[in-house]
Amino acid sequence: MTRRGRTDAASRLRRLLAVIPWVLEHQGARLSDVAARFGVTVADLEADFELLPYCGLPPYSPDRLIDCQVTDGRVTLRFAEYFNRPISLTPAEGFTLLAAGQTLLAVPGADPDAALAAALAKLADALDAAGGVAVELGAAPFVAAVRSAVETGEQLEIDYYAAGRDARTTRRVDPYAVFARGGEWYLDAYCHLAGGDRLFRVDRIAALRCSGEVFKRADDRRSPGGAVYHPSPEDRRVELVLPPDARWVVETYPTESVETEPDGRLRVVMAASSPAWLERLLLRLGPTAVLAAPADLPEMRAAAARRVLARYQGRSETVPGSVSG
Amino acid sequence: MSDRLERLTNLIAVLLEGPKPLLLEEIVEKVPGYPPDRESSRRQFERDKATLREVGIPVSLEAVHAFDQEIGYRIHRKDYQLPPIDLTDEERLALHLAVTAVRLEGDDGGPGKAALQKLGALEGTGTSPLAALRSVPAMPFLFDAMRRRSPVSFAYRGEIRHLHPYGLLSRGGHWYVIGWDEDREDLRSFRADRLESVPEAGPPNGFERPAGFDPRSTLRQHPWRFGDEEPVEAQLLVDADQAPWVLDEVGEEAVVERRDGGSVVIGLTVTNRAAFRSFVLGLLDHAEVLGPPELRADVVSWLETVA
Repeated sequence: MTRRGRTDAASRLRRLLAVIPWVLEHQGARLSDVAARFGVTVADLEADFELLPYCGLPPYSPDRLIDCQVTDGRVTLRFAEYFNRPISLTPAEGFTLLAAGQTLLAVPGADPDAALAAALAKLADALDAAGGVAVELGAAPFVAAVRSAVETGEQLEIDYYAAGRDARTTRRVDPYAVFARGGEWYLDAYCHLAGGDRLFRVDRIAALRCSGEVFKRADDRRSPGGAVYHPSPEDRRVELVLPPDARWVVETYPTESVETEPDGRLRVVMAASSPAWLERLLLRLGPTAVLAAPADLPEMRAAAARRVLARYQGRSETVPGSVSG
Repeated sequence: MSDRLERLTNLIAVLLEGPKPLLLEEIVEKVPGYPPDRESSRRQFERDKATLREVGIPVSLEAVHAFDQEIGYRIHRKDYQLPPIDLTDEERLALHLAVTAVRLEGDDGGPGKAALQKLGALEGTGTSPLAALRSVPAMPFLFDAMRRRSPVSFAYRGEIRHLHPYGLLSRGGHWYVIGWDEDREDLRSFRADRLESVPEAGPPNGFERPAGFDPRSTLRQHPWRFGDEEPVEAQLLVDADQAPWVLDEVGEEAVVERRDGGSVVIGLTVTNRAAFRSFVLGLLDHAEVLGPPELRADVVSWLETVA
């Protein structure tokens, strides 16, 4: 039998073993209601039920076969006691449900009637997993406000610290979607300042003002998917040789290649998403990283180091404040 | 395919009924639909067992009689069925909302839907995806070990580790398995994506989990607290532009002083100086270590080596 054939049999079996206990609990339920609940057509359900009279226990005499009666569109089952309980969840099923549930619980305002919290408590207790699965999402004070703006389609003005630019700006944005990924909240919006779509970290919004204007949604807009940073051909490639304990770099950022040297060090090639990002990485790695390429990296690192040192020597040249552009 | 479905259903009934473990010959004799020759029927039975496992029904292999060499097959009721979970329809809808709102990477939505179906189905309108969680293949295994209280072992940073898994936590987009480390004799957490081997589990009920265990409070929060150095209280000045998200990271309770213009001074307990320095340098010239002098000097000398 093909794999697909087996998967279909598994799906139908799973459905059958879910429907039977339900009907046993709700004898005389309408076939149409059962079908609607389980997301199938009445025809599919009838096809499943047609099997039942052939199912049961040896010697498969009438009193040992499942009896299924449909009268006036209502179904009753007899001699199906061995299937009277739903089947247990697989580890993947239990984990997915608890993880998804705990994640949604971590979203501000997502469970107004506490139904989700109640459901998860019952599920976790039954699985002996109470308190065993927890999910944390960044707090980001403006998540609720941004979500609300997405729902109403209202334009926002935000004071935003752009890590890539290492600067704070005020921008007018059209908020399309808000989502959490990698434990952080992101706003997918059209930015009027940049004149294009941008992904904003909600925790970097310092202040937010609703404009009161509803923006016109672009029809052909694609929602962002996949990794938040997409290396583009224009981004600079850097080659670094890192000590073994700097493995976190490889785990945190996308790399184009990673080779282990004989002495255990890692030679990595990666795209630099912005000069500020590169400065931060080089300073954090400090003298432990060998800067293989390009040739201007050591001076870039040195200049960044001197800029930070100026702070400690009371000669800061940076003036924090609003920068336009 | 209906024939197969019929055979599977009858197989389950027969294996549930027992009353003792059944040999393959007995199964083939009792359950209609197996091919006549032994080899084909054995292959078919193996495929059927795989389908049952896929759906969530474990078939046990055990001795037919205590004194016997012969082993046979059974399905134990307690393994077969879900414990009573009395969900209301409102609660089912809330769970459905959760599986549509949250996507587990590497998961096609199948396990979530299958779970809901077993719990009495009922789908609402759902919602657009709100969050994506990373996952690794080991997670369901670790989840099962946690709930069965089975000790696990795995390779991690070149060593075999032995853990009583108490809980699983997703923080910063990464999953951690947290529990009692048998070798270190202490609570430890492990990044699930850093396991270097497929984990193995021992028999169930191998340990007890402490009452009121909460994975969130156990995982040490910040890298600068993840160390065994003598604790030192650091003070860090953060510029106004970066202050909001830094406070989101360290918590409002870390604020020691708010200055004019919006910059803040935060107090952090440091037991890992390297991690603290790394955090500070991530802020470039928008932060300054005010004290103590040794930590300030540490950052200065680090920078001077590359300036």
